Amino acid sequence: MTPTWTISSAFAGALLVLLPPARMAGSARIIALAASLVGMIAAALSCLARLNHPDAPVWRFDAPWIPCMGIRFHLAADGLSLTLLLLTGLIAVAGVLFSWNVEKRPRAFFAWFLTIIGGVYGVFLSRDAFLLFVCYEIVILPKYMLIAIWGSTNREYGAMKLTMYSIGASALILIGLVAAYAAAGATSFDLLHLAGADYPAAMQAWAFPVLFLGFAVLAGMWPFHTWAPTGHVAAPTAASMLLAGVVMKLGAFGALCVAMPLFEQGLGLWKPLIAGLAVVGIVYGALTALAQKDLKFVIGYSSVSHMGFVLLGLAAANHWGLRGAVLQMISHGVIAGLLFGIAGRVVYERTRTRDLAALRGFDLWRSLPGAAVAFTLATAASMGLPGFSGFVAEISVIVGLWKVYPWLTVGVAIGIIITGAFSLRALQKTCFPARPPADAATAPPLPPLTWPEISAIGLLLAVSLAIGIYPKPWVVLIDDGLRSPLFQSILPLP
Amino acid sequence: MLVLAALAMLGAAMAADRKSGKPFSAGVGIATFGILLAAAALLFAPPVAETGTPLLANDPLARIFKAVVLGLGLFSVWVPPARREIENPGEYYALVLFALTGLMLTVGSNHLLFLFVALELASLSLYLLAGFPRTPRAAEASLKYFLFGGVSAAFLLFGISLLYGVSHSATLSGVAQALAAGRPSLPGMTGLAMVLAGLGFKLAAVPFHYWAPDVYQGAPATTVAIVAAASKAVGLLVLVRVLQIGFPLLAGCAAWGEMAAGWSLWLAVLAAASMIAGNLLALAQTGVRRLLAYSAIANTGYLFVALAAAGPKSAGAALFYVVVYGLATLGALAVTADVERDRGDDRVCSFAGLIHRSPFQAVCLLVFLTSLAGVPPLAGFPGKFALFSNAMAESATAGKPGLVWLVGLAAILSAASLYYYLAVLKRVFARESITGGERGTMPPVHALAVALPAAALVVLGVFPALLLEPLTRALMDTLAGR
Repeated sequence: MTPTWTISSAFAGALLVLLPPARMAGSARIIALAASLVGMIAAALSCLARLNHPDAPVWRFDAPWIPCMGIRFHLAADGLSLTLLLLTGLIAVAGVLFSWNVEKRPRAFFAWFLTIIGGVYGVFLSRDAFLLFVCYEIVILPKYMLIAIWGSTNREYGAMKLTMYSIGASALILIGLVAAYAAAGATSFDLLHLAGADYPAAMQAWAFPVLFLGFAVLAGMWPFHTWAPTGHVAAPTAASMLLAGVVMKLGAFGALCVAMPLFEQGLGLWKPLIAGLAVVGIVYGALTALAQKDLKFVIGYSSVSHMGFVLLGLAAANHWGLRGAVLQMISHGVIAGLLFGIAGRVVYERTRTRDLAALRGFDLWRSLPGAAVAFTLATAASMGLPGFSGFVAEISVIVGLWKVYPWLTVGVAIGIIITGAFSLRALQKTCFPARPPADAATAPPLPPLTWPEISAIGLLLAVSLAIGIYPKPWVVLIDDGLRSPLFQSILPLP
Repeated sequence: MLVLAALAMLGAAMAADRKSGKPFSAGVGIATFGILLAAAALLFAPPVAETGTPLLANDPLARIFKAVVLGLGLFSVWVPPARREIENPGEYYALVLFALTGLMLTVGSNHLLFLFVALELASLSLYLLAGFPRTPRAAEASLKYFLFGGVSAAFLLFGISLLYGVSHSATLSGVAQALAAGRPSLPGMTGLAMVLAGLGFKLAAVPFHYWAPDVYQGAPATTVAIVAAASKAVGLLVLVRVLQIGFPLLAGCAAWGEMAAGWSLWLAVLAAASMIAGNLLALAQTGVRRLLAYSAIANTGYLFVALAAAGPKSAGAALFYVVVYGLATLGALAVTADVERDRGDDRVCSFAGLIHRSPFQAVCLLVFLTSLAGVPPLAGFPGKFALFSNAMAESATAGKPGLVWLVGLAAILSAASLYYYLAVLKRVFARESITGGERGTMPPVHALAVALPAAALVVLGVFPALLLEPLTRALMDTLAGR
């Protein structure tokens, strides 16, 4: 199975789920599950094939698309793309499983859901800037629809805010790309061609921040992160998982594979500021999460904090930093997906509240032990405890940072401490209240976990543990991607 | 010529029919037949002369655009005309055919006076078409359209006479030769500016846009569809031909740091003004027709961004975009007209819950509005992308910033435009209908006016090269053969 199966299965699935007649609308979820499973399996098999044959040429698909502008339909799957494809596949499967109980217009729901997945696959595979931008933009409208139609708290506001941030950021990306295209001779949008061109220093000084900021907004860079918590909270569970799990990674991926290779001098000029903002984001996100009353807001702000590590790794711009950034993208994707799944689906659908004070009354440890165990493990992973993926990723970023800006690690350390604090606070309030209310013991037990929930939780936890315990295959794949000629100017080969 | 004869004859036949009390659908039928006949003539009849005459070019560009006019005209005829049906369908559709004939004559005109006459044929028909229903709003629309149009026609004519005085020729190539010989003179520049103002009116560029919101709101939907799609496409083509064939030497420069007086700089200023005014005013609209009017003004701004680069590739991209824009606006108008018939008005809240009443219309409206906003995989996205990237590529050489100031403004304002399109779509998809789910049946021909443009937008969105390549090549041929 070649990596094209990922994109094609998602888009074909998005069309297929619309087919069943209204009285069989429930079958949409089975089609969606099948489509996302095909994508995940294709990604996993491609990863294995790449691990077994690391010296084989990279899979690619290249065909002319708009010849008069030098635009080609160019996909390629090196190790970096493959690991991110696998992450997307995992989140897609888990997202469908956590949405098993969607009753309102399920066909449209899964069609939009799979469209996002397809767009995300497309971004990770694109090697042509135009194609990448197309796939990047395809995601915007489905995000809006998922939140505005199926969302909860303040959904239309959250959806519009998120969409306007995304499209505004896209305008910056458009400006940066178009300027690069013009300066590189206006012959091709191929990423390698654009990265190989010589741009004047004056242009790099303005074009890099424009392009980088365009991508970084979607990656939740402080102070442009405010769309993320509102959007995540307003979104339905599957959309929160997608947003935090993979869509924020689109921004980081674009910054890594487009903004940085194109304007490496601009990167040199601006990276201290990016690193500074990333550290502020880590500390600020964690502090804000500490003060939240809504469980989803806690997770939303923790995402801002965790994505700060990704940006920090990018700003370090050395091998350890970039590898750590990609690892953190995968790790946070899995963990955020898991946390949002548990908070939005498992807990909220049963208790109808996400308020931390109200959740105390349910004493989840007694009333819903399965969820409490899962939430405890997910929180441990989110705190970056050894054995989970977060630890590997964060330590790698910190090593990279130490080589460039050692004094910034102080800020990171503070952020990690606060992360522990807000994680434990949320865990204690929801699962282990110090003084459970008197009527907790007599309250009727909540319905136990269903099989789709258990399998989704199991899948994501297993991946986080697998990365934490044996990160080697992931590191090998990521290093394979980082050896691409695209990163020559940032990471010269020894 | 055959094309035009067929159209005019059928137009006359229609006018004669009006007393026989034919039902309304007969008007649509005969008009459709006339347009299809003209299309067949365009396809199969041998061209009278391959190269055309000094007055009238018959190059590939003109042929492509005649087909575009016929296609957009056909869809416009299928758009449900108004809340209340037109009283004299014979006269109405005869005038529609006259307007289309005028537009088709305009497409190939190489002579400034001939251009003026052809444009006026189209404009006079459109003034009448705007005021057809006997309502105060339609009368206001018609009068405003006529008054502004009359003034702009006077500007155009005065500009042409000045240019004739300077160059002793009224053909585009003659003007170009005369201007190449001497230094740019004040009368020459004034004449050019006046021609630009006259054509700026056709395209509803700020500050010649005041007629647009009232015409879009008051005129019958069919008329608005022609004004928005076919007439705009032709206006842009004329502008490209006049400026790039007649006045390549008076372009000036709009690039950052190298600005010099000339049509390029003037267009850049008009573009910035149109984009800012159109987008900001659209934010405040509560009626979909007025919203589309301000979006029309904003879109003229994007088109002018590309023309300001004064290069063939960006002009080709602009021609592509104006077709795509026309399809999207026309379709959105068709859906709006149908909602008006069911709900009585075009306010945004009347669209609430459209997805439950008519999923087909809702999905098509999604296609039209998101294409206008420039969201892939619809044709508006490659359209805008081609506009902006070609404008940059043809204005910025050797690392100079070029038109980045204008392209940046356009990109940001275009992103902001998603807000007001989403404000409509939000109601269509995420809100429940206020009143019950009753709806009138949609005649199949109206459904076609919605379905075909939507399908075209999807196809052109995935394969933009299908139209972008031939247009760019045809334009380059035309410019090379001047």
